[in-house]
Amino acid sequence: MNVKTIAVVVGLFAAGPLFAQQGNPAGMMPGNVEAKPGTPAPGQYNPQDRLFIQLAGMGNLGEADAGRLADTKASHPSVKAFARRMVADHSSTNAKLADIAKQRNLSLPGEPQPDQKAVKTHLETLNGLAFDQAYLRAQLIDHQKTVQLLEWEISNGQDAPLQRLAVDTLPTVVEHLRMVQALLAETTGAPPQGLAASQDGAPPPR
Amino acid sequence: MPKMKSLLPLAILPLTAIGLTVFADPLPPDATYRPLPTQPFSDVKRMDEAQKPDVMKRQQALFNQRYDMSNRPLPGVMMSGGRKPVQGGVRVKLPAGMTWERLANMSPDEIRQRNLFPEGFKPLPHVKQSTGGQVFPTNQIAEIDRLEQRDLRRFDVDFDLPDHLTPEFPPPIFLTTHPELGDVSRGQVLSFRNYYEIMNGIITPVQMEGLRLLLTPFPQEEFNQTEDRKVAAPSLGVACLDCHTNFHSNAAFHLTPDVRPQSARFRLDTVSLRGMFNQQIHGSKRSLRSVEDFTEFEQRTAYFNGDHVSATRKGVNLPDRPNQVAMMAQMQNIIDFPPAPKLDSAGRLRADKATQQELAGEKVFFGKGRCAECHVPQTSFLDNNMHDLKLERFYRVGEVANDQVVIPDGPIKTFTLRGLKDSPPYLHDGRLPTVADTVEFFNLVLGLKLNQQEKEALTAYLLTL
Repeated sequence: MNVKTIAVVVGLFAAGPLFAQQGNPAGMMPGNVEAKPGTPAPGQYNPQDRLFIQLAGMGNLGEADAGRLADTKASHPSVKAFARRMVADHSSTNAKLADIAKQRNLSLPGEPQPDQKAVKTHLETLNGLAFDQAYLRAQLIDHQKTVQLLEWEISNGQDAPLQRLAVDTLPTVVEHLRMVQALLAETTGAPPQGLAASQDGAPPPR
Repeated sequence: MPKMKSLLPLAILPLTAIGLTVFADPLPPDATYRPLPTQPFSDVKRMDEAQKPDVMKRQQALFNQRYDMSNRPLPGVMMSGGRKPVQGGVRVKLPAGMTWERLANMSPDEIRQRNLFPEGFKPLPHVKQSTGGQVFPTNQIAEIDRLEQRDLRRFDVDFDLPDHLTPEFPPPIFLTTHPELGDVSRGQVLSFRNYYEIMNGIITPVQMEGLRLLLTPFPQEEFNQTEDRKVAAPSLGVACLDCHTNFHSNAAFHLTPDVRPQSARFRLDTVSLRGMFNQQIHGSKRSLRSVEDFTEFEQRTAYFNGDHVSATRKGVNLPDRPNQVAMMAQMQNIIDFPPAPKLDSAGRLRADKATQQELAGEKVFFGKGRCAECHVPQTSFLDNNMHDLKLERFYRVGEVANDQVVIPDGPIKTFTLRGLKDSPPYLHDGRLPTVADTVEFFNLVLGLKLNQQEKEALTAYLLTL
């Protein structure tokens, strides 16, 4: 175990007992190095962790690409602001993901997911309200899938720092989902769905 | 109408087409179906056993962070069999410096944004969320071992609640067909070994056969012979009444079979089968429309986590509908609620029996407390509906506690309040330890603004049911 690994282990346990992941060993990688009996050392990943790095990495790139496009093409100021937030948040998460991947000698994908690329090509042909709505509808699906991907990593992964990243990122992605739902309601005139129906996001009354 | 369709913005149509073809991919290949184990059973068992002390310590830390877990019985209030006192007091802890009154005067948005919703009001995780599955209390494990030499002990987890916060054991059994007898359990746990002797002569042959089947162990996901089991030796299986001890509940818990992914599945506290004859929908989420449907389908759900593919691999039991299911249902339908001597036949308090405080509590129940809008006394304190409390107004969705992702509960069926004092813990996942906790919970969630006197009266009334 090198110095960096020990530092990560110390950081993990210092977070307290409420935060330590406790996975089902039935889905762990055979032959793991264990930090202590029964607990894989950080950096000991299973196929799910590796797939998570791939899918989350592609997803973040696609989100940032679509966000940059929407920042220039969207007509609604709130959609533009949302797009800028997508670029910032997903780029920041991808940097953290890249750090973890690098420590495991894994590389992040260099391209977005194929469906994100197809949607972007389509979005490039649209303008005005049609662009805003099409961008938001694609964002709705993207964020529904991202929530699912993070929840899946939390159950099925085994690499503690990666799972910690999924745990830390999930509430933000859920908030993105709520924002998309609220913006869709605003731009289409339909009633808000999902979390936007029960959480209006308004600042607290004074 | 083709003409209408042509009026749709042209831009929307191609995106829909794109969505249908490519949005399904890429997603993980084991997101819906249960993945097969990747390691030999002996390695998994060794690792599970090594993890177990930390797993239990982590869950106890969560309980102690959320609740006052102490043993504080209400003086003079016993459960129906007279074996266990009912616990009192509000056990859910408030955020530092907060009071229930101040909290009740805040809006849901403010509570959410300032992270002030009591942790004990949030969904309660399974002791080991990533694995889940049925977990039995120690007394049930010991009794089934003694009576049947059948092992219900898991090597990866123990039961996580202290005995004083669970139903009395063994619970009494009341029959609708023999109200004059009172408790017919003889103080025993019904099991395959003793059921005939205990029930001989007071139930019909059809009911007896139903009882036999409800006590017969069948293969179950965490207890069966294959490599992903969590018992040391392949078990003979699990019986319906292993959780529903004596047709009540022993507080055994599980994860809902109705939600995926695994981290988002909510905990299930075993529901009592008392008063089944008046219940029209079954399962907190599934809303199965008859006890026959439920009895049959439990072989897919409680037994196999809602995964029929896994069930087939492990040896599923499919009870024959016209005979076996019908007889199991007939037996369940003669289980009565425990006595409530202060109630009249319409479920209203008798003024000659109830105290002034209990009568005041009944007024709150029907009026300011809004309880009777769903818990209708005339129909066994049920409305046979599901309701969404929209609790997510109060907390941040997507937070993770002990590997459980907190998502909104959505619609959950109304549970009966008859015999309430016998059935701790409360709510579908058992997140509330006492009746007083449920009063504080609904006071906040429904925005009732009850004063202390009204809360205490309502609690006193609920204990008469």
